[in-house]
Amino acid sequence: MAANMKAVKLRIKSVQSTMQITKAMELVASSKLRRAKERSENCRPYFEELYNTLKTIASGNTDFSSVYAKEHASEKVCYVVIAGDRGLAGGYNGNLFKALERDAAGKEYSVLPIGKKSVEYFKRKDANLLSEEFAEIASVSVGDCFEIARILCREFKTGEYGTIRLVYTEFVSMLSQVPHAVPILPLTELTETDEEKASIRNLILYEPTSEEVFDAIVPEYLAGVVYGAVCDSVASEQAARRTAMESATNNAEEMIETLNLHYNRARQASITQEITEIVGGAEGI
Amino acid sequence: MKTFPIRIGTPDGLLYWGDVERVVCRTITGDVAILADHCNYVSALGMGEAYIVLEDGTKKKAACIGGMLSVMDGSCHLLATTWEWEEGIDKDRAEKAKERAEKVLNTQGLSNKDYAMAQAKLNRALVRLSVKG
Repeated sequence: MAANMKAVKLRIKSVQSTMQITKAMELVASSKLRRAKERSENCRPYFEELYNTLKTIASGNTDFSSVYAKEHASEKVCYVVIAGDRGLAGGYNGNLFKALERDAAGKEYSVLPIGKKSVEYFKRKDANLLSEEFAEIASVSVGDCFEIARILCREFKTGEYGTIRLVYTEFVSMLSQVPHAVPILPLTELTETDEEKASIRNLILYEPTSEEVFDAIVPEYLAGVVYGAVCDSVASEQAARRTAMESATNNAEEMIETLNLHYNRARQASITQEITEIVGGAEGI
Repeated sequence: MKTFPIRIGTPDGLLYWGDVERVVCRTITGDVAILADHCNYVSALGMGEAYIVLEDGTKKKAACIGGMLSVMDGSCHLLATTWEWEEGIDKDRAEKAKERAEKVLNTQGLSNKDYAMAQAKLNRALVRLSVKG
């Protein structure tokens, strides 16, 4: 019995120290989350405006002289996948890759990964990587997003890829983060297939020409969209981690409670046994 | 005068939304002014001074660098990489940035990338100074 007691005691200790770690991680995540959420809220209007404006332009566009506006013959897809740097964030990274696999099923694709987990995942899968420069999502700035946009534009212009899609996690609320795969290039991909929308086409004046305008706008648009998605993903990661660590802490508390019960029972049992032994011994005299 | 809705946004947030009488900014082909009832229009923004005229006639100046300008069904969207209101510009900083950039440009043996970088920095500083000046 004594051995059992000791084992239970050890177990309690180890769970307690795990709980300490999860609790600390939860606190760190919630303080990081506050900052990330602020950043994401700040740039969200820009991100939405940009995407919606480009969408309106794309659906009203009748001029397909720019490389960015044309549909491409190539079937190949380039994915920009934004995942986290670290694990222990619940289903955050897993859900994102699942969403990607669903979207990419049956297609031939290359990847531009952002975030360490993303780089590792595609290396393991032996996928074709465009660049591994952006392995740390925490340090991605607006400037880096312009660099990414430059790479994407260059690759897209060569005609190697027919479409560019962005896979990121949308920060809906503290408790819910949804992975999405959205098309970002060519612009024809942005139009909704709504029949009604397609019928009301307004003419747009491009100055000086649509080609020049698109050439100047598209890199900015890509950078803006990628930056928005990065901000959202970072906030999502922290939120996911916070929730995961919160439930881990709760689980640990529960475990300690039951273990304490076991420990007390074992202690009680050993005392009872001792008494019985003494009583038995006394009777024997 | 008739007004129209405008939204000015940058990656750092939505900086202005509301009705204005007129907006003037520099596109890649030159300065344009947008008034109410403009036809659908899209252009890319260059580097330069910009201003909006509010309903009550007050003029707000800003430094505007890069981005896009679109008018769709009467409402204007100005999405800039950088948009700084006149009062938010730090003149000393811009002055120093200008000097630094000029110094770099004057050195010999610059790589193309460095040269372009310094040039861009100088331009940004000049735009800021012209708005503030």
